[in-house]
Amino acid sequence: MRISDLTRLSWDQVRRRKVVTMLCAAGLSIGCAAIILAMSIGESTQQIVESELNSFLKMDEITVMPNSGAMPGQDNPDQVNEEANKRGLLTDQKLEVMRNMKHVTAVVPYQTFDHLEMTTADSKEGYVEVVATDLTRIKDFGETFAQGKADSVDINSVVLSYGATMGLMDEETRNKLYEAMERSGYDRSSQEQYRNMMVIPTAMYQTQIQLVKYDENGKQLTSTPLQVIGVLKKPKGRSDISIAQDSKIYISIETAEQLRKELVPSSVENSTPTYNSVKVKVDAEQNVKQVEEQLQRLTVSTQSNLLQKEQLEEQFAVFKAIAIGAGVFILIIASISIIVAMTMSTYQRRRQIGIMKVLGANLSQIRNMFIVEAALLGFLGGLLGIMFSYWIVWGINALILSLNSGESDISIFIPYTAIPVGLAFAIMTGIISGIYPAVSASRTDALTAIKRD
Amino acid sequence: MLRVEGLSHAFKNGGETTLVLQNINFHVRKGEMIALLGSSGSGKSTLLNLMAGLMKPTEGEIYIADQNIVKMNENKLAEFRRKHIGFIFQAYELLPNLTVRENIEMPLVFQSTRPSVRKQKALQLLEQVGIPDKAELFPSQLSGGQQQRVSIARSLITEPSVIFADEPTGNLDTKTEEEILAILKELNQTMNTTFIIVTHEREVAQQTQKIITLRDGQLQTTQPAVDPQAEAEEVQA
Repeated sequence: MRISDLTRLSWDQVRRRKVVTMLCAAGLSIGCAAIILAMSIGESTQQIVESELNSFLKMDEITVMPNSGAMPGQDNPDQVNEEANKRGLLTDQKLEVMRNMKHVTAVVPYQTFDHLEMTTADSKEGYVEVVATDLTRIKDFGETFAQGKADSVDINSVVLSYGATMGLMDEETRNKLYEAMERSGYDRSSQEQYRNMMVIPTAMYQTQIQLVKYDENGKQLTSTPLQVIGVLKKPKGRSDISIAQDSKIYISIETAEQLRKELVPSSVENSTPTYNSVKVKVDAEQNVKQVEEQLQRLTVSTQSNLLQKEQLEEQFAVFKAIAIGAGVFILIIASISIIVAMTMSTYQRRRQIGIMKVLGANLSQIRNMFIVEAALLGFLGGLLGIMFSYWIVWGINALILSLNSGESDISIFIPYTAIPVGLAFAIMTGIISGIYPAVSASRTDALTAIKRD
Repeated sequence: MLRVEGLSHAFKNGGETTLVLQNINFHVRKGEMIALLGSSGSGKSTLLNLMAGLMKPTEGEIYIADQNIVKMNENKLAEFRRKHIGFIFQAYELLPNLTVRENIEMPLVFQSTRPSVRKQKALQLLEQVGIPDKAELFPSQLSGGQQQRVSIARSLITEPSVIFADEPTGNLDTKTEEEILAILKELNQTMNTTFIIVTHEREVAQQTQKIITLRDGQLQTTQPAVDPQAEAEEVQA
């Protein structure tokens, strides 16, 4: 039997038996849409989380730390092997070696200070994490300036992260805010008001700030005024409150030395500066592992984000497998409706099958006609499923937008691979579900079928 | 062309066995048109179904075109029917969703014949059965007589060795019955096709060349049919 005849006869049945077609296609479309949606949500969530992750943890960067037991400022140096301690420190010499490594594009050392209080010229206050680094290299790590620049840096120059400009307020306002929160018993509206205040930015470019620390006797130590020479751009893809919580002030290594003298007078001056951490930027993600291995030969600890990414991918693979499994389960349920509908259809068409057999159709020809019919139903169900999944995704995205007051970076998309996969699953389910009715149709006894009472 | 040897068939109904056909022997030559005559329950339809390979006999052999169809399995029988056997049913049994032409082409569809060849043959047969203008109509748009003509055309499209007609005029009025029988006789003569017509009407049987009469599952007589007109003239004389 020619394929064209097989398809024509089967299509004719699909077209004529509208109720059966509708029942089967509806069941299959739900299953197909479930698979496409499962894949889409899985893929979209992975991309959203990865882009969020990339904004926090850059994949082409390696964080280098002193080897175990060699952290600067360790309280009990006696407890660690002094020799190992010295070998593991992050020194300028090691930085130079790192800069000369293949695939390394930038190296920036960091010394972290405490979280200190920052005061502005107009008496606004806020808490910032003070980070000493090479200010001229900030740009190399993907940071961009919203205002100002740090090409040449004088002592007492500072760069603020965008978060450091947020939530600054004078003492009176802050106290009033706290009092209001206490009075209302930290209810929702007062917390909302606090959050709103915490994300209000202040114009800080080219202003002067001072850092304040209290010693163990409660005496206030204030730094010399520092000039804000730049403010970094607001990071994308993060909530305002998380940006506000990430408030940093970047100072040069020289400024750090000066601050240490002013704010921690008891600290011992170190002739050879060492660093808490070093950030190493690699030219491409695929070279990160190789560079990391080279760095570890310098007796330092390294940490890249490859492991996190791999773990994340593994977790998403499991999530996607579960989601697809759910889709397949729905398809199996849908297939039961196809088996029932097609078996009913087979019974109704017994006479027609009998005539065909008398006219010379053999078992496989009858069986193939039903299987092609089932595949066509699967195809139709698949097309419907694709349409449904687009509508559902459109609905979900509209819902996300409305929940985020019309502004959202989060949206679900349908990956191109999901469409053929969904369609293939629908056709396959159609065929598998059609096997039993097809076999039962082919076994119809011609004589019984054409007999008239 | 067709040989039935020692054919017996019994139905089992619970613990009881009913003998429907008992030791039937006859043969039909190529190009012959014969009638299987018998009253209701005589076993004529069972004999037809056995000869068409739709049932297996309890005993005996059936040879068509020198092949024993009793020994064939279902697929082999389907293939054999496709090539050697044509059917004309009392209730026409046309597929309602296909056009007249598509219905006639159907047996060739199962033989994977090219569509252009099928179409040409179908139109030619429609011409022969006298309804050339009905090709693209559906069976429901035709009268009973026209539907039977389509059924006759369908049975001929594979140029079979033998055509079994089960009460072909049973659903028709007298005038149409005469027309259909005339067509069958003409096709038998022009195409030299063997026809076996099952009927309970003696008038229909007498249009054939030979009558095989069945009574209670046994072959009663095999005799040449007498032309009813000639018989009437004989009585008058």
